[in-house]
Parts: sequence; structure tokens; C-alpha cells
Amino acid sequence: MTVFHFFNCAILTFGPHAVYYSATPLSEYDTLGTSVKAALVYLGTALVKLVCLATFLKVSDNESFDPYQEFLKALIGFIDVAGLYFALTQLTHRNISQNHKFQAVGLGWAFADSVLHRLAPLWVGARGLEFTWDYILQGLEANANLVLSISLAALGSLMWLRKNKPKTLIPIIYTCAGIVATMPSITSYLRRGLGWHFPEVVGFQLFTSLVMAFISWQLFAACQRPSA
Amino acid sequence: MAQAKPGGERQVLESMYSMIALVFILVACVELCDAATVVDVYRLIQYDISGAPFGSRLANLNHHAGSLHFAPGSDLSRTVLIIPLRELNISFVKEYITQNQPLGGLLFLLPQIFSIENRERAKSNHQTDGEELLKNDLAELENYLYIPRYLISAQQEFGSSSYLLLLYPVYFAFEDDDIEAVLADVKRNDATGQLATATTGGYKFVVSVPEPKKRASPTITNIQGWLSGLKTDGDANQLPTIAVVASYDTFGAAPALSVGSDSNGSGVVALLEIARLFSVLYSNPKTRGRYNLLFGLTSGGPYNYNGTHKWLRSFDQRQRESIDYAICLNSIGSWDNDLWIHVSKPPENAYIKQIFEGFSNVAEELGVKVGLKHKKINISNPRVAWEHEQFSRLRVTAATLSELSVAPELLESTGSLVDGRPFVNEAAIIKSVKLVAESLARHIYGHEGKNVQIFADNSSLAVNPSYIKSWLDLLSQTPRVAPFLSKNDPFVLALKKELEDHTDEVNVQHEVLDGMFTFYDSTRASLNVYQVASVTFDLLLLLVLGSYLIVLFSFLVITTRGLDDLISLFRRPPSRKVKTA
Repeated sequence: MTVFHFFNCAILTFGPHAVYYSATPLSEYDTLGTSVKAALVYLGTALVKLVCLATFLKVSDNESFDPYQEFLKALIGFIDVAGLYFALTQLTHRNISQNHKFQAVGLGWAFADSVLHRLAPLWVGARGLEFTWDYILQGLEANANLVLSISLAALGSLMWLRKNKPKTLIPIIYTCAGIVATMPSITSYLRRGLGWHFPEVVGFQLFTSLVMAFISWQLFAACQRPSA
Repeated sequence: MAQAKPGGERQVLESMYSMIALVFILVACVELCDAATVVDVYRLIQYDISGAPFGSRLANLNHHAGSLHFAPGSDLSRTVLIIPLRELNISFVKEYITQNQPLGGLLFLLPQIFSIENRERAKSNHQTDGEELLKNDLAELENYLYIPRYLISAQQEFGSSSYLLLLYPVYFAFEDDDIEAVLADVKRNDATGQLATATTGGYKFVVSVPEPKKRASPTITNIQGWLSGLKTDGDANQLPTIAVVASYDTFGAAPALSVGSDSNGSGVVALLEIARLFSVLYSNPKTRGRYNLLFGLTSGGPYNYNGTHKWLRSFDQRQRESIDYAICLNSIGSWDNDLWIHVSKPPENAYIKQIFEGFSNVAEELGVKVGLKHKKINISNPRVAWEHEQFSRLRVTAATLSELSVAPELLESTGSLVDGRPFVNEAAIIKSVKLVAESLARHIYGHEGKNVQIFADNSSLAVNPSYIKSWLDLLSQTPRVAPFLSKNDPFVLALKKELEDHTDEVNVQHEVLDGMFTFYDSTRASLNVYQVASVTFDLLLLLVLGSYLIVLFSFLVITTRGLDDLISLFRRPPSRKVKTA
């Protein structure tokens, strides 16, 4: 019955990406290529991040929270933003609207992240006889991550691609993007600094991802209006 | 160029596929041990006597756990029953065994006091009543698990006609916090009246070991050491010999736990100490006796003293006849006041009388009682209950010194689970050593009937308690079931080395155990305890996830394309059909 459990967890982890692609107009405009490219950019970014982490961070054996190390980690985390910037601006896309572009990039980004970080533990762990909630929670975390990635991509496209946006909204956009980009550091602080358990952290992630998604949606809609 | 390209691409693709397949195969092979708890377990012995099977016949285990609190009438054929010794109901076990009830497996939880590693308790020989009760319970349980005689009597008692077979794995484990926690959980579940199964989830016990294999031609190793007496007029062969013999191997319910501290670790310790004492005496020509001393550590003791039989056969007639008498030491480690000398010649026999009087004189001085027990041997009966009977069959005068007043059954009292260090009394062994050494010395130096203490306390010839203690500790940590001891086992080599230190000449004899017994391996294993989810849970989860994805899909379609699109999604297939038609 353990393959069953693996199957369930895999559905939870990777299903929403597929659903998102097929349910939204992304599938109609055939933006798969963009998503694949974004995923490749993610791979490159992850590699650069790994190299940076290995170069600048000390290996700590204990699970304690070290502010300086975490600050460095957060800084290195911004490499992600650079990667997203590259994916959004430099990649030559076929003529798809900005609206679909950021969604495709965010989707590819989140999917690559899920495959890279969650597939191997899932394969090794969820097929074992021992039952734990961990893999289900991990799947939920992947969902939150999808929402966050798309929000970040939306905010990024607002920042870098849209020229005529209302002046008053610009600081809000930048703050939101900052918050979303530092999300990994925030969760890491919650887990290690405050000693939260995995379910609580995942709950927090789900909640914040929904909030951020709502905010970025509103911002996007607000920016859309004057141009329309 | 354009034509060559597809072929090349296909080749690349094909090599990619094989690579991918290889990666998948490699990944599929990764099996990590991720059990909640791993417990060392010891399997009940599996053996055949002349083809008749005894003991647990299986080793592999993969079933859900249950406790003794199961609802009556439930089907246990796919359940591993955990039975803590403290809650053992012996008649329940007997009934289950004798009626061949189907069981997934049995796991007996033994208190830590029976563990080999348990050394702290050894310090105090004080036993509480609770421990005594536990010991008796365990001893009775063991009897009904593997000793043929008891199995047959239980069969008659419960009127079962079929042959008794434990067609399921039976394991022993020691209580610890992890397994106790699991047991508490299992009990809580069983209290609801439903056993854990695949549909309800719970704990799963998994022991994966290869199918038990027969041990091919088990060897037994006898070790003998000679301490030659003072030669007069050149001819040493005319010197009479006194033999001191103890069998050192064991047999018990769990071979990996069968240390036999009392049976017959105590005998081995006593023999080594006697050898040490006489080596001191014999090293000085002035105190060298006119007797050769022969020390024999024999193997195969549980199997009708097969090793002793082989060992005696290896002597030539002259050597055998030169043996004046032989003293066999068996289980002398936990007596209080009474020891028994078992003989197979009538007590009126002059030699027997001489031996017995020698021993009882010394015993009187030591303040203990020695009794004489006579048991005739029946040559046609293959059962040899005492080691001296092997000597008697070859017409060598011999006696067994033991605390047991009655001959044990085949395979009984040969190193059972209860026979551990905490239940052996060093003082008893010291008294036995004094008794044997003193009476031998008086016989050798002709001081019979006189009150001379050769091995008096505080003299240079005093019995050394720390020597006895250290050897007893070593023996109590070394399982010594002959079929599972290799020829050059470190323990056998240690015994040989120790005898070499105390005697002039040591010989090691390897023999093949006679064919009546067959043994099977895999005596110890690791039990993985998994907490598993039920199939129902998995199905429910799938349902929840499916509806989650459907809701998500509908939500996304409605927000991005509108409700009409969602409805049209379900209408599209028929319309396409119409088009193609």
C-alpha cells in the first residue's frame, strides 16, 4: 500500500501545477516552451545558488539559528530574483502577452523547484512502510510554493516589464516583492529560531501565500486599469 | 545531411532511454531502513530429531501486531502476538501450541534480567520473589516450546491428535522503552475490540531474513589437557589417571541467548580452577602426585554427550584402562546445601564407595551434604542423561557431581533462557571446587580420612574467587550452542589457551556430531516496527486530493475564462465527435 501513498503524495505535490496549466488560458496559447525555459533558468540559478552557499556559508552541525548566516542566506536567496528577472526580461519568448508570460514563468519556476527539492525525498521516503504526515505536508508546501512563485513572477513583471504603472503603487510593489523573495528566510527563521513544527510552518506558508497572491492580484489589476 | 540526421537523433534518443531506464532501476533499488523502531530479536531454535521437526519452523515475519487483549474469537492468522513474560498465561500458550491454532507469529518480551548484557544485577545474588516467579514461568514456557518430552505430554493433556508444529516464527526480545511504547499503543487499539489489519492500520512487524538453512555437518570440539604425575622407575604409563570432565556447550530455546551460566558454565569454571590449583601443586616435584590428571572439556553435552562418547572412543584400550575414575561436573552453580553424586554402578561397588566416602568426608568438613544417587543405565536406550554414563558404558568408573537430583530430559537444563548470570552463585562454585579439589588431593596424596586442608583459605593454594568470577562472566556472555560454534571460535581457542597454561599437554579434537540432530540457522535478526496507515486512509486521501484538484481546476477556469468556458469544457467532446463524423 505504500506505492499508493507515494502516488497520493505525488498527486498533491505535482498535480496543482498541471491543473494550473490546463485550467488557465496558458494551455490555449501553448506557453509550455516558456515554462520549460523558465525551469531551465531555475536549474541554472539553483546551481549558482549552491555554489554561493558552499562558498560563503559555514557548515553548521547544529540546527540553531545564526542571524549572520541567515542574513547571508537571505542575500544569496535574492539570486532567485535575479534568475526570475532574467527569465522574464531576457528570454526571447514568442509573442505572448505579459499576462501569460509571468504565469508561465512562475509555473515553470515552481515546477522545477518541486521536482528538484521534493521528488527524491518523496520517492525514497513515501514508499517505505512507515507512515508519517511529512510527505503530505511537503505536498502542501509545494502548493504554497506554486502560489508564491506565481505571485513573485507577477510582481516581477509589474516591476520590470510594465512601464506606465501608477506612481503610488510602486513602493507597495517593491515591498511585496521583497517580502515574497525573503519568504524562504522567514520560514527558516520560524522553524529554527522559534522552533515551530513542520505542520505550523506549512500552515503559515499556505496562509501567507494566499495573502500575497491576493495582494499581487489586486496590484496587477490596479496596474491594468490605466492602460486599459 | 538531412537524411543522416534522423538516424543519429534516434541513436541519441535510444541511448537516452537506456540511460533513463538505468537511472530508474538504480533509484528503485534504494531501500532505506526508515522503521520507527528496530529491535534485536532472537529466534526460537529450529531443529529436527531423526527428521521429526521441532521448534519454530519459519523466520520471516511481516504481520500486524496484536496484544493479549484481543477480542475472543478473532482470527490471529495474520497477527503477531506480543506476549510480555510478566503477563504470560502459560495455559493459553500451551493451548495455542497444542491445538495448532493459526498465528502470524509470536514475540515474547523478556525482562531485562534475562539479557546477556545484564551485568549490574549479577553483583547481588539476592533474588526477589517476583523474579523467582518470572524465572519459573519462563522455564515452563521454554519447555513447551522446544523440549520434545514436554511437547508430547502437552499433546496428551490437551488431547490433540495432530503432530505439534509451530508453523510460524517465534521470537524473543528484551523489554525496552521503545517496544514498551509500541505495546502500549497496540493494547490501546486492541481494547477497541478490533485487531490491527491492513484496513485499519496500526503497527507492522517485519523481520526479513533468508529462509533458515540446515547447518551442514555440525562439528563438535573436545579439548583435553594432561597433567602428568611423578614418574618412578621410568614407566609413566603405569601411573593411574584421574579424569575431571565438564561439557561446555549449551542448547536452549534461543541459541543466540543460550549461555548456560549454571549448565554447564559452572562446571567449566570449576574444572579450570581445579586445573589451576593442581598445576601449582604439580609444578613442584616435591608435591607432584603419583597420578596423572586428565582434564576434559567436552562438547555435544546436550545431545546425549556425543562429544564425550567420541572423545572416549579416541583413547586406546590401555589409556582407558589406566583411568582410575572420572569426575564429571555438571550444574554446580546454584545450590545451597545439597549436592548429588550420580553413579551408574551400585553403591556397594568398592570404587564407588571409595569415591563417595572421599567426597562426603570433605563435604562434612565444609558443612555441606552430599548424597549418592544410583541410576542404572540401559544400553539399548540411546538417551544418556549424565556424562558419566558414557564412561560407564566403556567400563570406566565415573561419577557426576551435580546439584540436580534427577536426570534432566533430553535437551533440558542445558542452557535455557533462565540460566543466566544473575541466577548463579559464585560461592556455590567455590564450595564445589573446594570439595572436588580437596577430595581428589586426599586421594592422590593418600590422606583419606585425615583432616588436612590442602587448599585452605588464605594459603597459596586457596581457591581464587576473582578467577572464578571472571571466567563465569565470560561464559555468561558467550552463547555456546555447538552447531553454531565454528572450529576456531575465539571462545574455544580461549578455553584451549587456558588449559595450556595449566597443563603439560593439550589436544584439541574435532568431530562431527552424529546424524540424529539437524539444526537450522538464522538465530538472531532485527525486528523492524513500522507504524502503517490503513488502506482506508489512503483511499480517503486520494478522494480528498482528487476533489481538491477538481475544485482548483474549476476555480481557475471560472476566474480566468469564466463559467461558460467551464461548462463548455464538458460539452466539447460530443461536438467534436459530430465534426469528425
